Amino acid sequence: MGLSISTIHSIRTRRSTNTAVLLGIALIGLLAARLASAAEDLVQVFVAEPFLELHTGPGRGYPVTQVVGRGESVDILYRRTDWFRVRTERGLLGWASLAQMSKTLLADGTPLKIDLGDRAGFADHRFEMGGFLGEFAGANLISAYAAGRLNPNLGVDFGISQFLGNVQNGYMVDIGLEHVVFPDWRLSPILLLGGGLYRVDASLSAQLLDRTDEDAYAGLGFRFYLTRRFFLRAEWKERVIITKRNENEELKEWKVGLAFFF
Amino acid sequence: MESRTRVLLLSLALSVSLSGCSALRWPWFGKHPSADQSADAAAKADEDPNAIEPPRVIDPDVERRKIKVPKIKAKNVEIGGYYGLMSVQDFGTNPVYGLRADYHITEDFFAEATYGQTRLGQSSFEELNPGVSLNLGSGRRLTYYGISLGYNFLPGEAFIGRSLAMNSAFYLLGGFGATRIADEQRLTLNVGAGYRVVPIDWLAINIEFQNRLFESDIFGSNKLTNNMQATIGAAVFF
Repeated sequence: MGLSISTIHSIRTRRSTNTAVLLGIALIGLLAARLASAAEDLVQVFVAEPFLELHTGPGRGYPVTQVVGRGESVDILYRRTDWFRVRTERGLLGWASLAQMSKTLLADGTPLKIDLGDRAGFADHRFEMGGFLGEFAGANLISAYAAGRLNPNLGVDFGISQFLGNVQNGYMVDIGLEHVVFPDWRLSPILLLGGGLYRVDASLSAQLLDRTDEDAYAGLGFRFYLTRRFFLRAEWKERVIITKRNENEELKEWKVGLAFFF
Repeated sequence: MESRTRVLLLSLALSVSLSGCSALRWPWFGKHPSADQSADAAAKADEDPNAIEPPRVIDPDVERRKIKVPKIKAKNVEIGGYYGLMSVQDFGTNPVYGLRADYHITEDFFAEATYGQTRLGQSSFEELNPGVSLNLGSGRRLTYYGISLGYNFLPGEAFIGRSLAMNSAFYLLGGFGATRIADEQRLTLNVGAGYRVVPIDWLAINIEFQNRLFESDIFGSNKLTNNMQATIGAAVFF
């Protein structure tokens, strides 16, 4: 068993070097940046179950080529989605699943805490991102947002939108607060408040010049947990465009999209 | 206007007070209280409630090792570029290049943002009418962006010879964005498929085919155009 493992290892190392030479793509700058950050502290965990399976790739279908026995340790190099790149005491590399890694112990005997990306994570996470399609003042709206959460209820939103209409096109950049009323619920209303910049592109047909104004919005949204890290999100906003003319514009916006948290 | 501003300010105050300042946990709050609870539950389960505890003669004076756990790095982001050919309907096939950023959400799904550009060739109308050129605004440049959701449809391994095995995946992509053509912005849908191989842990090479669909009225009536692109790209995991 020990012999066969070391054979696999030696082949894999050679594979990597060969490939690196073969595919020496002009990403040397990026590589240098990566090498500079190579020496860092790693998390060491001990296998508490009978064994820990190491797959050849970060996916459920990749074959298990080796196992780490109870009591042995592995170093966690990094995580990709729900898979962990680990190095065994003998220096072998492999991918371990989240399900098995969550049953390992730290050196002080406490279990390793891992962000699972489940319903509990939906109720209480740090960041989320998503994309929307919708309508803004009669124009098609494409929008993307990112939010950082201060606590399960309150978050700070950053949004960027482009509207494409028959009459006018433009962009909106927003920053705002969002309040999730019931973060533990699968379906929860969200209150939205914020402001930003509103830009209309010059258009010959509509006799418009470029203009950029400030705007403020108040809105109502919903989020609905789908599965894993995904949820649906819908928003309705009323915007006040603070123009340089005597009257401000009031425009309505709605959008529906898919988002994920991490 | 004044009343509207007041409504905005009031609802801001309301939204902050609803969440309650006491609920603010600065800086970033702990991720999963449930993990702590399950650890406590496990510890309790270890104690047998029926056992009679013997009187303690010696108080064990063993200090528990405090371990500072470094953060596990997440490498879910892929950033890179691509180069290939794009056939813009009525304007021939020209080189296209662009940048893309991917975020791997789960082992099956990823989100992708792309920005690319190509040149518009001569349309048949211009070729048949020498000296006539279409009013395409500032230059014959086409730029686009898109946000897509991808699905790793057929994950697997690819082999080159005896000693080279690379993780791979055939994936499907779909999304939306905008295309700028002849100084006009057009809502664009994109659908495609690609093949990704990961020869080294940090590098991904992909071959991708995409169709970008948008409505164009350059030749009079509004019509849906199909614009195919085939690209090869490289990206680095972060």
